Amino acid sequence: MMFWRLVFQLLRRSRGRLVVAMLAIVSGAAVISALLNLDLGVQNKLTQEFRSLGANIVISPANGPPTMEGAATPSLMREDEVLHSLQRLQSPQVVAAVPYLYIVARTQDTPVVVTGTWLDQAQKIEPTWKLEGNWISSRDDESHCLIGRAVARQLHLAPDGQLKLDYVNRTTQCTVAGVVDAGGTADNQVFANLHTVQSLANLPGQIGLVQISVSGAPENVADYAARLAAALPSGAQLRPIRQVTEAEGSLLGRIQFLIISMVVLILILTAFCVLGTMAALAMERRKDVGLMKSLGGSISRIMGLFLAEVGVLGAVGGLIGAILGVTLSYWMGLRVFGAAISPRWEIFPVTILLMIVVAMAGALPLRTLGDVKPAVILRGE
Amino acid sequence: MFARLVKESFVRNPRRKLLTAAALVVGMAVTTATLTIALEVGDRLAREFRSLGANLLVTPESDTLPVEIGGVDYRPVDEGAYLKEADLGKLKTIFWRHNIFGFTPFLDVPASASDQQDKSPAPVTLVGTWYEHNVPVPDGTTFKTGVRVTHPWWKIEGRWFADDADECVLGAAFAGRVPGIRPGRTIYVREQGVDGKTAATVTPLMVTGIVSADDAEDKAILVPLSVAQRISGHVGEFRQLFVSALTKPADALAERGERAQYDKNIQLTPTEYDRWFCSPYISSISYQIKTVLPGTDVHAIRRVAETEGRVLDRVGTLLWLVTLAALVAAALAVAATSATTVLERQAEIGVMKALGASNALVNGIFLAEQVLLAIIGGVIGFIAGTALARILGTSVFGSPASPRLILLPIVLALAAIVAIAGSLLPLRRAAHFEPALILRGG
Repeated sequence: MMFWRLVFQLLRRSRGRLVVAMLAIVSGAAVISALLNLDLGVQNKLTQEFRSLGANIVISPANGPPTMEGAATPSLMREDEVLHSLQRLQSPQVVAAVPYLYIVARTQDTPVVVTGTWLDQAQKIEPTWKLEGNWISSRDDESHCLIGRAVARQLHLAPDGQLKLDYVNRTTQCTVAGVVDAGGTADNQVFANLHTVQSLANLPGQIGLVQISVSGAPENVADYAARLAAALPSGAQLRPIRQVTEAEGSLLGRIQFLIISMVVLILILTAFCVLGTMAALAMERRKDVGLMKSLGGSISRIMGLFLAEVGVLGAVGGLIGAILGVTLSYWMGLRVFGAAISPRWEIFPVTILLMIVVAMAGALPLRTLGDVKPAVILRGE
Repeated sequence: MFARLVKESFVRNPRRKLLTAAALVVGMAVTTATLTIALEVGDRLAREFRSLGANLLVTPESDTLPVEIGGVDYRPVDEGAYLKEADLGKLKTIFWRHNIFGFTPFLDVPASASDQQDKSPAPVTLVGTWYEHNVPVPDGTTFKTGVRVTHPWWKIEGRWFADDADECVLGAAFAGRVPGIRPGRTIYVREQGVDGKTAATVTPLMVTGIVSADDAEDKAILVPLSVAQRISGHVGEFRQLFVSALTKPADALAERGERAQYDKNIQLTPTEYDRWFCSPYISSISYQIKTVLPGTDVHAIRRVAETEGRVLDRVGTLLWLVTLAALVAAALAVAATSATTVLERQAEIGVMKALGASNALVNGIFLAEQVLLAIIGGVIGFIAGTALARILGTSVFGSPASPRLILLPIVLALAAIVAIAGSLLPLRRAAHFEPALILRGG
C-alpha cells in the first residue's frame, strides 16, 4: 500500500519532467505502432494492387500421352468437371476464376480469334482493360460481345455495331457492347458468351483454359494452387504464371524488407529518445534517493519504487501512443492506398511491452543510485 | 574567453556530451540513410519491375489482324506485314535510350517437325528470337539484348542456342510429347506453306535445351531469329518486338500527352510538350520509338505498365511517410537528450551566474556547445548513414545506394536546429534559477 502511495506521490510531484518523458514515450510508441500496423497491412494491400497483373494461376488440359501426331488440335477439358473442383475449393482469396474457349472464326472473310468466356467477370480478371462503350453485366447475355481495339479498327466497328461470326457451317451474331483497349493480344480478339462460342464450334461443355486470379502472400497463393491441383480432374493440369508470381514475390519481399529495416531504425531512435529523458529523470531523483536512504530505506526497495514508476510511465505512454499510432496508420492507409488499414489488436500489447522495456532501460542510470551517499546528496553536491 | 569556455567544457567533461553526441550521430545517420534510400527507391524499384518483362509491344502498323491464341500466331507466314531487323539499333538513339532496358524481336513460322528424318512430321510453330544478341547501334557501339532481358522468368534446362547456329530449344510441352528427346539430339523441321503444304527443304537443328515459359512458347520450338528468317524466307525481318523500358508512373500530363496523339481536341502547350517528351513516361517512350521505327504501332502492355505505375506510386508515398516518421523520431531523440544535458549541468549554470555571467552569456555558451556538437555529430552521422544506406541498398536491391553529398548540408542544418530547439526550453528555465539555491543544492 505504502509502496504504491509513494509511487504516485513521486509521479505527481515532478509533473513537468514527467510530461517530457511521457511525450517522448507517447510519440515513440505512436510512430512504432503506426509503422508496425502499416507493415502488417502493406503486404495485404500490395498483393491486391498486384492483382491488376491479372491471372496468376491457369488450368489447362493435361498433356496427352507422348506422341508427335496431332499436335495442332487444341486440347480441351470438361467445363463442369473443372468448375466443380473450383467450387469445392472456394476461398475468399480467389478474386476471379474464369473459363475460356478459343476458336478461330471468320467475320467479313477475315479470320479472327473468338474467345468464349464469362463476360461479366472480364473486369475482375483484367482490371487494366480500358473500355469504350459498356461492360456486359450478365453472364447469360448471349446477344452482346466485346471486341479488341485492333478488331474494331480492322473491321470498322464501334459500340452498338453488329458482328457476324462464321465457323465452318454455323453462324452467330452479336451486338458490340464495348471496344477493349488491353495493350496486348486481347486487342486482336472478339470476346463472346462462352455458351455461344461452344455451340458455334459445336463443342458443348468444353473449355480450353481457366484463368484464376488469387490474392494473398506468395506462400498463400502457392498453398491454394497446391490444394487446387490436387482436386483437379485427371484431364486438367494447373500451372502458376511464373511471370506474375515470381516478380510479385520478389518485389513484395524487397518492399517488405525495406519497410522493416526502416522500422528497426526508427525503433532504435525512439529508444534513444526515451533513454535520454529517463536518464534526466534519474538525475533529478538523486535527491529523493538521498532522503530515502537517510530515512533507512533499503536500496532494493528504492530501486523497486523507481522501476515501478518508470513501468507505469511506459505502460500508460505505450497505450496512448499505440492508440495514436493505429489511428495514424489508418490515416496513412487512406492516404497511400485509398483504403483504410484495419487496426491489428496484437499491436497494442507489443507496443506497450516495448515501451516498458525501453523505459526501464532508460532508468538504468538509476543503478548508480546505490552508491549515493545520503549526506553528500543532502548537502547538495 | 567565450571560445575557451566552450572548449574547456568539451575537454574537461567529454562523458557528459556522450549521450547528446550519440543521439545526434544515430539520429542523423538514420535521417541520411532513409533520405538516401527514399531518393533512390523509385529508380531501383522500377528496375526491379523489369523482372515482369516487356512493357511495350511493337507491331507493324498495316498488319492484318493477328490470329494469335496464347502467344502463337496462326497466320500463314506470307500474310501480314513485317518489320526490319536492321532498324532495331535505332531504338538506342532515342532521347530516353538509356531507359531502354532491352528488346527482343519475334518471328513465328508455322512448320512441321519430326525427331527422325524419315518419320512423318507433326505441325509445330517455330519461334525465332534472340537469347543474347549483339545489336549494332548507329553510334558505333553494340547493345546486348534478347529474351534473357525481356523474359527473365523463362527457365532453361540445358543451355540456350547460340546466335546464328543451327540449334534449337524445345518448349517444355512440346518436348513432353516427343519420346526420348533430350539435349544433344537432332530435330528435323520444314516450313509449312500458305496452302498447308510442307516445303521440301529439311533443316536439321540440334536440341540444346528445354525451356519452360509458362506460355504458348512451351508448345513451340525456339530457334535463333536468323534460322527462322532463313526457313521462312523473310531474311532480315520479324513480326513482333517486345521492349522493356524503365518508366515513370503515369500522371495527368502523361495521360494528356498520350491522348494528344490521336485526339485532335487535346493540344499540349509547347512547355507541356517538352515536359512530356523529356519525362520517361511510357507514352513518351512509345512515341519516341514510333518516330525511329516508322510504320509501327507501339502499345503499352497495359497489364504490366499500369501495375508498375500503381505499385511504384504507392510504395513511393509510403516510403516518404516512413522517412518523415524517421525524421520526427530523430528530432525527438536529439531534442530530448540535449534537454537532459542542460538539466544535468544546473550546478554549472549556478556557478556561472554566481560569478556574474548574464543569462545571454550562459545561453550563448550552451548553444555554441550544442551547435558544435551538432556539426560533429552531424558529420559522423552523415558518414555512418551513407554507409548504412549502402548496406541497405545492397541487401534490398543487390547494389549499393549511391551517396548523396547534397544531403550533408541538409543533415547538418537539421542537426543544429534540433539540438538548439531541444536545449532552448531547459535554458529558459535555467534563466530563472537562483544561483544560491542551485549551489546549495535546493
